Amino acid sequence: MFARLLWKLLRGSRGRLAVAIVALVSGAAVISALINLNLGVEHQLTQEFRTLGANVIVSPGQGAKAADAAAAVPVLMGEEAVMQAIAQTRTSSVVAAAPYLYVIARAANTPVVVAGTWLDETAKLAPTWNLEGEWIASRDDLARCLIGRNVARQFKLTLGAPLELKYLDRNARLTVAGVVDAGGAEDNQVFVNLPVAQNLAGREGMIGLAQLSVTGSTQSIAAYAGQLTELLPMFEVHPIRQITEAEGAMLHRIQLLIVSMVALILILTALCVLATMAALAMERRADVGLMKALGGSISRIVGLFLAEVGVLGAAGGLIGCVAGVALSRWMGQSVFGASISARWEIFPLTIGLMVIVALAGALPLRLLGKVKPAVILRGE
Amino acid sequence: MFARLVGESFVRNPRRKLLTAAALVVGMAVATSTLTVALDVGDRLAREFRSFGANLLVTPQSDTLPVEIGGVDYRPVDEGSYLQEADLGKLRTIFWRHNILGFTPFLDVPARIATPAMTETEKYPMVPRTIIGTWYAHEVPVPDETTFKTGASVTHPWWKIEGRWFGDGANECVVGETFARAHFNGTAIGQTLNVLPPSPAGGIVKAVPLLVTGIVSTGGAEDQGVLVPLNVAQSISNHPGAFRQLFVSALTKPADTFSERDPLKMTPTEYDRWYCSPYISSISLQIRQVLPGVDVRTIRRVADTEGRVLSRVGLLLWIVTLAALVAAALAVAATSATTVLERRDEIGIMKAIGATNTLVAGIFLAEQLMLAIAGGALGFVLGAGLARVLGQSVFGIPATLRIVLLPVVLGLAAIVAITGSLIPLRRASHFNPAPILRGE
Repeated sequence: MFARLLWKLLRGSRGRLAVAIVALVSGAAVISALINLNLGVEHQLTQEFRTLGANVIVSPGQGAKAADAAAAVPVLMGEEAVMQAIAQTRTSSVVAAAPYLYVIARAANTPVVVAGTWLDETAKLAPTWNLEGEWIASRDDLARCLIGRNVARQFKLTLGAPLELKYLDRNARLTVAGVVDAGGAEDNQVFVNLPVAQNLAGREGMIGLAQLSVTGSTQSIAAYAGQLTELLPMFEVHPIRQITEAEGAMLHRIQLLIVSMVALILILTALCVLATMAALAMERRADVGLMKALGGSISRIVGLFLAEVGVLGAAGGLIGCVAGVALSRWMGQSVFGASISARWEIFPLTIGLMVIVALAGALPLRLLGKVKPAVILRGE
Repeated sequence: MFARLVGESFVRNPRRKLLTAAALVVGMAVATSTLTVALDVGDRLAREFRSFGANLLVTPQSDTLPVEIGGVDYRPVDEGSYLQEADLGKLRTIFWRHNILGFTPFLDVPARIATPAMTETEKYPMVPRTIIGTWYAHEVPVPDETTFKTGASVTHPWWKIEGRWFGDGANECVVGETFARAHFNGTAIGQTLNVLPPSPAGGIVKAVPLLVTGIVSTGGAEDQGVLVPLNVAQSISNHPGAFRQLFVSALTKPADTFSERDPLKMTPTEYDRWYCSPYISSISLQIRQVLPGVDVRTIRRVADTEGRVLSRVGLLLWIVTLAALVAAALAVAATSATTVLERRDEIGIMKAIGATNTLVAGIFLAEQLMLAIAGGALGFVLGAGLARVLGQSVFGIPATLRIVLLPVVLGLAAIVAITGSLIPLRRASHFNPAPILRGE
């Protein structure tokens, strides 16, 4: 009986319900899309910030009195120990990691900084480099190197040109595979694979520092650095403050901005749905009067109407959610070029919110309990 | 008659208008505040981005290859070329001078250092260490008779100091965190550090005593070194008024396809437009014009990230603003529709006593329009307040009020309120008065 009445009610006033449904569905769509977007935005933005390059450094640290890289005997770390620890703690949030060994070698009798590293990781560690030529895809390629823009200018080197580096009585013969425009100190350096630099310096298996590019909030980066410190207690692991701090502050502000705008929209949408449902409920005065006259108890009548708006809210919320997830996918695609995956928690959240708002809108119905059926039936 | 009908409707039953008016006020307040914030956010975020440090690097054009590791130059003092400190005020005379937030010159000098904690054999080692000469907060005279205060406090905001910074031009220094731990007993602050030029070129060179005033922590290579005022580094290296590198922090507009084009191939109008836009490429050209013989490089790591993030966040905010506008429009349209539906009886009576559909629609639309203007104006005021609060809480500076938005918001309110009532009014034109009057 209750269900039949409910069904009749819903079918009977299709026209009026259309407005309410439209309000509910679009409200739910906007809310779920924005909540989804907001949940995905931190992940996307931290990814964007990785173009800043390395943000965690492992260095020999204070154990050394002459930690100065230019000192005659710089303090070094064992390559194996450091890189193994990094490999052990490596999660998907570590975008790139590479060891570095700097040697001030001579090319045509001019000192030049030679950076030995894993050249296959360099592209990921420094995504903003403009490269003329090609990246070196393997860390075992000992015959080729990348050179900075200023090095190319100074020694008049072009792609494919030979370059001979000398350090004391050792030397290395390389071919230029690419010219790097980095906009920084790297423009003055020669990049070779690690073993080349180690041979040149006569320090096999040693590195000067390791650089990592880690995504995440300031706290999660600090936590990762802490994890690495536990494995490498003799060395110093520290986040590059210039980057992590500014990044954290920016993220915080952007998020705060988006959250406050989303909150405004949420309130607005809720108000809109509330107003629509309230208007709908007030229209039902005549029905209430008739039901009362026929002997329905007020609690039963109100229950019936609440069930009606509840069903409306749930249905509108569900449809809106599906639309909203699609909308946030499109937003993610157009803003970040990567679709934002739907989070399951959006569904109960939005549907619940819609049901609550719809029910709150129907609350004025309770006032109808005081209305005398005769007055309403007379049409006053 | 028409005016009286509309007026009466407001006086007789204000409650019915309340819902639409409230929706209009709230909707337009949200629209105003989101638009204000979205218009402001580019500038604000660009300023925030300066906390990543400088985005332009100025070096001498005819320089030898810097031997630079981790930001410290290891070249001997007599090698390579220098820039002149006296020219720096000119940076504040370029077209985009107000976008130059700060600049800091650097002069790295190899020197032999002795601290009280060192043993006699450790003092003045043959292998020189690098001391870094720079400005922390320095008054630069500008050719237009003003001064400009700049230095690492602006371009390197992440540097943290324990104690205080060296006084500008005083025989003082601050030492890096790692250096302080390695070469001092107890606290370094208040102790004296002696500096000798690397290779005394004939004659006896007196060591320069420097008072340690603070311990700096930068998270970079400076942690292992000593920072001194620029003029101290100049006198140690015997290069008065010179420096090697200049970091410039400038507010720029994110690069787009237009700014990527080669300025030499632009038409004169395009060139003017490019020159008068704060692109990083046009600012670096303007710096080259006032400081002849320099090479201006974009620190791509910072500039590219800034461009990418700024354009993405801008787009994101516009989408959110659009969503806010849609939500506001929906709220207003939905309440307008319900108020028209509620007043079916009234429409029935009007039509029964001979009102045409046009007249009924006219009365309703006139009402909606008046509501829209009043509600929109109130909403604008509320929204402007909201935007101030939002700007204050997010960026610490209230968002600037834009009067231009007032007509936009009023127009939006009118369009939305009228569109919202058009659909139910169209249906109302099909009403047959008789059943309505019977109460069916």
